[in-house]
Amino acid sequence: MTITSLPSSDGHELTIVIAGRFDFGAHQEFRNAYERVSSTPKSYVIDLKDTTYLDSSALGMLLLLRDHAGGDSAQIRLLNCKPDVRKILAISNFEQLFQIA
Amino acid sequence: MEDEYPVLLDTFVLDSEERLLVLRKAEQAGDAQNLRLAAHSFKGSCSNMGALLLSGLCKQLEEAGRREQLELAPDLLEQIEREFAIVRILLKSERQRYRR
Amino acid sequence: MPERLSILIAEDSAADRMLLSTIVSRQGHRVLTASNGLEALALFEQERPQLVLMDALMPVMDGFEAARRIKQLAGEALVPIIFLTSLSEGEALVRCLEAGGDDFLAKPYNRIILEAKIKAMDRLRRLQDTVLQQRDLIAKHNEHLLNEQRVAKAVFDKVAHSGCLNAPNIRYLQSPYAVFNGDLLLAAYKPSGGMHVLLGDFTGHGLPAAIGAMPLAEVFYGMTAKGYGLTDILRELNAKLRHILPRGVFCCAALLNVSFQRQEVEVWNGGLPDGYLLRRDGPRTALVSRHLPLGVLEPAAFNDSCEVYPLALGDRIFLLSDGVLEACNAQQELFGEARLLQVLDANPAAAQLLYQIQQALHDFSGQQQDDVSLVEVSLVEERQLNRPPLAFADSGQSHLLDWSASFEFRGETLRHFNPLPFLLQLLLEVQGLRPQGGALYTVLAELYSNALEHGVLGLDSQLKQDAEGFAEYYRQRSARLLQLREGYVRFHLQLLPEGGGGRLVITVEDSGKGFDAQALILREMRLDGLSGRGLALIRQLSERCRGSADGQGISVEFSWSPDA
Repeated sequence: MTITSLPSSDGHELTIVIAGRFDFGAHQEFRNAYERVSSTPKSYVIDLKDTTYLDSSALGMLLLLRDHAGGDSAQIRLLNCKPDVRKILAISNFEQLFQIA
Repeated sequence: MEDEYPVLLDTFVLDSEERLLVLRKAEQAGDAQNLRLAAHSFKGSCSNMGALLLSGLCKQLEEAGRREQLELAPDLLEQIEREFAIVRILLKSERQRYRR
Repeated sequence: MPERLSILIAEDSAADRMLLSTIVSRQGHRVLTASNGLEALALFEQERPQLVLMDALMPVMDGFEAARRIKQLAGEALVPIIFLTSLSEGEALVRCLEAGGDDFLAKPYNRIILEAKIKAMDRLRRLQDTVLQQRDLIAKHNEHLLNEQRVAKAVFDKVAHSGCLNAPNIRYLQSPYAVFNGDLLLAAYKPSGGMHVLLGDFTGHGLPAAIGAMPLAEVFYGMTAKGYGLTDILRELNAKLRHILPRGVFCCAALLNVSFQRQEVEVWNGGLPDGYLLRRDGPRTALVSRHLPLGVLEPAAFNDSCEVYPLALGDRIFLLSDGVLEACNAQQELFGEARLLQVLDANPAAAQLLYQIQQALHDFSGQQQDDVSLVEVSLVEERQLNRPPLAFADSGQSHLLDWSASFEFRGETLRHFNPLPFLLQLLLEVQGLRPQGGALYTVLAELYSNALEHGVLGLDSQLKQDAEGFAEYYRQRSARLLQLREGYVRFHLQLLPEGGGGRLVITVEDSGKGFDAQALILREMRLDGLSGRGLALIRQLSERCRGSADGQGISVEFSWSPDA
C-alpha cells in the first residue's frame, strides 16, 4: 500500500492517491497525507484507481478526512472506484457524504 | 604476558615430558587410538608455543595412529624426541632471560 | 566497553590452558578452568559462566559430551560454546556443531581472532537474552489481555444475552469472541409480543470495536422493554453512538421488528451486506442497506425510515456480517456474494441454512472464521415462543386504582412521537395489570395504529390484500404522515376498583371520518387476509370491545381479580 499526496499548483485542491489495500494499515499514512500539507485546500480528491481493497476502517478514515475538511461543508470526491470498492461504498451508503464517481 | 611467560615455558616443558611418556607407552602397547589422541593434543600445544617442526611431526604421528600404521610410529617418535630435546634447550635458554 | 564475562576454559593441555586463560583474562574477563569435560560440567553447574571455550578431545569426558550436557543445563539461555581444536577433518568439525558448538577456534591461538569471536558470541548471547525477555513479556501481556477479554466477555455476555437469542424461532452462528471483532447480535421480545433483532458490526477490531457494544445493547434492550418502536430506538442508538464514539468509528447494523400477530417485518439496514427475506414459497427479497451506518450522522440528519414486508408462517429473515463475504482463501480471493447466493439458491431448510453457509465458508477458506455472524429469524405462531412474562424492576403500586386520564395527541406530535411507551409505563404502574401487560400493549398498539392509519391518515386497509398493495400501503403511510398538520388521536383511560381487583376501560378516538365500529368488528373477525387482523386481535385479547356511541372510537376493557 502506498499513499501519495499531490496538491494542485494553486493549492486549492489536494489529490490523495491510494495504491493497494486501503485498510487499517494505512491509518497513519492517510492522515499524514492531508495533515502534513502546507496549503489549506478547498477540496479533496481521493483517487482509488489503484486501490484493490477497502475495508470499514478505511471508511472510518474517510469520515475523519471529512471532519478535517469541514464536516457537512467538506468537498471530497472519490474517483475511479473499482467495482468491489464501489460496492463497499454503496453498502455503507457513503454516496450520501461523498461525491463518488 | 611478562609475568606468566616463564611459568608458561615451565608448564609447557613439564606437560610435554608427560605427553612423550604417554606416546611412548602407547607405541609400546601398540595402542593406535591412544597414540593418535596423545599426538593430537601434543600437536596443538606445540603449535601454540610456535614449535612448528615438532607440531608437524606430531601431526604425522597422529595421522599414522589414525590409519593404524603402527610400523611408522617408532621412527616418528624418535624424531619427535630428538626435536623436543632441541626445543627444550631453546626454551631453557629463553627461560634464563627471565630469571632475576 | 563490552561487559566483563565469566568464561569457562576446558582444556586438558596445561600449557594451552594457561596460554588461553592468560589471553582471556587480559581481555578483562573472569576465567574458570577445567582440565576435562567432567570438571567443566561441574564448574558450569556451580558458576554458570556465560561462555565456554572447550577442547574437543579430552580425557574422562570429551568436549562433545560436555558441550551437549552444558547446552542441556543452560536451557533456553544461549551459552555459546567455542570449540578449541586443531581438528581439521570436516567430519570432526560437524561433530562439534552437532554437539551444540557455536563456533571454532583453531590452534595455534590468535589473540585478535579470539577476542573478536568472544565479542561476536557475546552479541549473540545478549540478542537471545533480549528475545527471551521480550517473548516472556509478550506472553505476559498476552495472558493479561486474554484475561481482560474473558472478564469483558463475561460482562458483555450478561448484557448482550439478556435478550431472547435462545427463542425457538432464532438460529444464529457467531464465534465466541466475535464481540472483539466488533460483531454484536441482540434480540428482545417487545412487550406487545413481537421481537426486535439487531445485528451490528463496529469498525475496527479488539477492545475499541467491542466498547460501543455495551451502550448499544443497553439502549436496545431498555427501549424495547419499554415498548418503543424501531424508529425511536434507531434514533437513540444513532445519537448515542455519534455522541460517544470517536469520529471514524461507527456501527454497520441491521434492525428487524418482527410482528407475529400482524405477520410483518420492519427492516432498517445501514451498512450491512444485503440480508434476505426467504419465503417458504416464492422468491427471496434482498434487504438492502439504504442508510449510513449508526453513529455517522448528526441526529438531525439521521434517516429512520424502514421498509415493511408481509410475512407468512415459515418465512425467514436472514442477516449476515461482512466477515462472511470477506472471508479469504489462500489465494487471497474473497468468498463474495456470488458464493453466498449459491448456497441460498439451493434453498436449504431452516435448520440447515447456517450450517451450510458455515460449511461453504470452511470449504472455501480451509479454516475456521472468527469474524462471522449469521442470524436467521423465522415467523412462527406466537404461542410457540414460550416467552417469559414481562419483567419489572420495581414492586408496582397496587393502590393506584381509582383514577382516570385523557390524552390528545395532535398532528405535529403524531408525526414524530410514539405515545405508546409513555401510556404503557403509566398503566403498568398498576400491579394488577402487569400479568396482562403483553395483551394490554398489543391492544393499545393496535388501537393506536388503527386510529392513526385509518382514522387520521385515512388509509384503506383493503390495500394490504397483496404484497404489492402492502408496499403501497406503507408508502402512502409515510407520505401522508410527513404532510400531517392536523388531526388527533385521543386516549381516555379509566381505572376503577372492582371487587378487590379492578377494571381498566380504554377508549380511543380519532379525528377521522368515523365508522360503524361495531359492524366493522364483526366483519373483520371473519377476515383472514393481510388486512383486518388488527381488530380481530383486539377483540381476542381484551375482555370486552365495542364501538363508542358516536362512532368516533373504540372502547376496550380489561379486568383483574384480587389474587392476580
